Amino acid sequence: MDLTAGGARVASVARSERTGLIPAGTVLAGSVISLVGLTWDIQWHGDVGPDTFFTMPHLFLYSGSAISGLASLVVVLMTTAARRAGLPIDARVGGRAINVFGKVFAAPAGYLVTGTGAAMFLLYGLWDQWWHGLYGFDAVIDSPPHIGLLLSITLSIIGTVMVFAAAREHRWGSVGVVGSLGVLIAFSTVTVLGLEQIDVDGLDVVSVGIALLSVLLVSAGGGFWGRPGGAIRVAAALAVIQAITWWFSPWAAEAYASAVGLPMRDYIDGVPAMPSMMPMALLPIAAVLEVVYLLSRRGWSAGRVSVPAGGIGGLLVGASMPIQNSIVYESSLDWSIVVMTAGAGAVFGLLGGFAGWRFGGMLRLLAPAKGDNAHA
Amino acid sequence: MRKTLLALAAAIGLLFATTPAANAYEPVNIVHTERVQVGPYGMTVGFSTWPLRAMQSLDFTFIPDDGIAGKSGTLAFVNPETGRLGRPQPLAKHPRKLEVWGLDIRALQIEGSWTFRFEIDGPAGKGAGELRDLAVLEQPGPPMAVSWSISLIPLIVLAVLITIAWRRTKARLRGNGLPATV
Repeated sequence: MDLTAGGARVASVARSERTGLIPAGTVLAGSVISLVGLTWDIQWHGDVGPDTFFTMPHLFLYSGSAISGLASLVVVLMTTAARRAGLPIDARVGGRAINVFGKVFAAPAGYLVTGTGAAMFLLYGLWDQWWHGLYGFDAVIDSPPHIGLLLSITLSIIGTVMVFAAAREHRWGSVGVVGSLGVLIAFSTVTVLGLEQIDVDGLDVVSVGIALLSVLLVSAGGGFWGRPGGAIRVAAALAVIQAITWWFSPWAAEAYASAVGLPMRDYIDGVPAMPSMMPMALLPIAAVLEVVYLLSRRGWSAGRVSVPAGGIGGLLVGASMPIQNSIVYESSLDWSIVVMTAGAGAVFGLLGGFAGWRFGGMLRLLAPAKGDNAHA
Repeated sequence: MRKTLLALAAAIGLLFATTPAANAYEPVNIVHTERVQVGPYGMTVGFSTWPLRAMQSLDFTFIPDDGIAGKSGTLAFVNPETGRLGRPQPLAKHPRKLEVWGLDIRALQIEGSWTFRFEIDGPAGKGAGELRDLAVLEQPGPPMAVSWSISLIPLIVLAVLITIAWRRTKARLRGNGLPATV
């Protein structure tokens, strides 16, 4: 992290390009490692089975959060030290510094959120251990501690998005926002399984949750990018994650089972469990959103156009998810559920379009205005 | 510094040295059995804990009297709350006790009187049978509403964060949702 002014002009430009790249890359790497652990763990429970706390997928899950948390802690301590030494603080490194515990710490906004998520992950991890001690190791993904763990990682990844948004004047900053929003959608598809607790007859509540969150985050990409292409880039990032994990998850579960000498379960369906929860139609749906955004060229406010665009997106994701599940798992399709889920998806999509675009604008504001890089 | 590094290396070494013991998967214990007649086949149902409590996971084993070789079958549960018969699932080998069928670390989620419905196809033909009135006691631990409330704390933190950020950026975002300053 470069908190000091450079020397010669050329050297200064070269150094400033990399300013904040290492800690930002580290928190993103932590999120990706957690994602790898999660998809591996879910596949393991489905295809192989036996669980203890000490499995490789758990190691990935926990070390991912630890890496994000430690990187955030280092940045916060360095920022605090810089402020105490009276040095200028570069808001491109994680955003404007926020006072924590009075003025004891100066924490860049993005790293504060990432670090808080990682710390909460640790606490939920302890609670999860207690939970498994009481209830055993049944592989239920939607237990309260698991949802707490997933929400903590969600908070960490939101912090990661903020960190990259603060550096958006660099190409890697903008690309990092798109990539980490893709990681966030991928994670969200598992977190929304908590909605299984809400039982509504004739409605696929989990798919409605996926419709809301995928539209919200794709719209945030659109609002952040500020010109055509943001939404489709976020959807493309998810497509890449889905393609890689589609291959990786079953392979890793089988390779690990063979390494520890455990057999595969009888009657496994071979479906990559977590990747198949990700909306496969999101890329073309994001293209539809981009077309609707073009209406803003006719003088309508882009933020307002994003609302009906989100409604259309929510409708399409809501309709596509039950169909996707039916195709992937070769199960029968109830068209009344498709219609109901699409309807609810449209309503929540309006909200996703409205809030998402606004979040994109808020992310842009995290970066210092040009010529104003130093904030105390 | 060197001492610290050595101590760190030793700690990591110890961690790896002790991992195999922690990594070993526990054997499948049977502390209670029930008998069920599935058509022509007698079968023993084994439980790794007894009595059963809602949400508490255990190993179930399903052991036909003359083994599982040459046989296939399905198992479906009757949920005590709804009284509905669930979708039959194939009887699969227990991952940690491959000579018998079973369910590994599985919990029955709600208390009440459960029924397991088996169907077996084998050398003596097809048969069906039920293990009825399997009592599942009350869920241990705190009420679920308390646990779910604790799990949602990160969501509350997020909601507070978004509210603060939303209000603080309101004036700086133009009507089109883009920052006025850029």
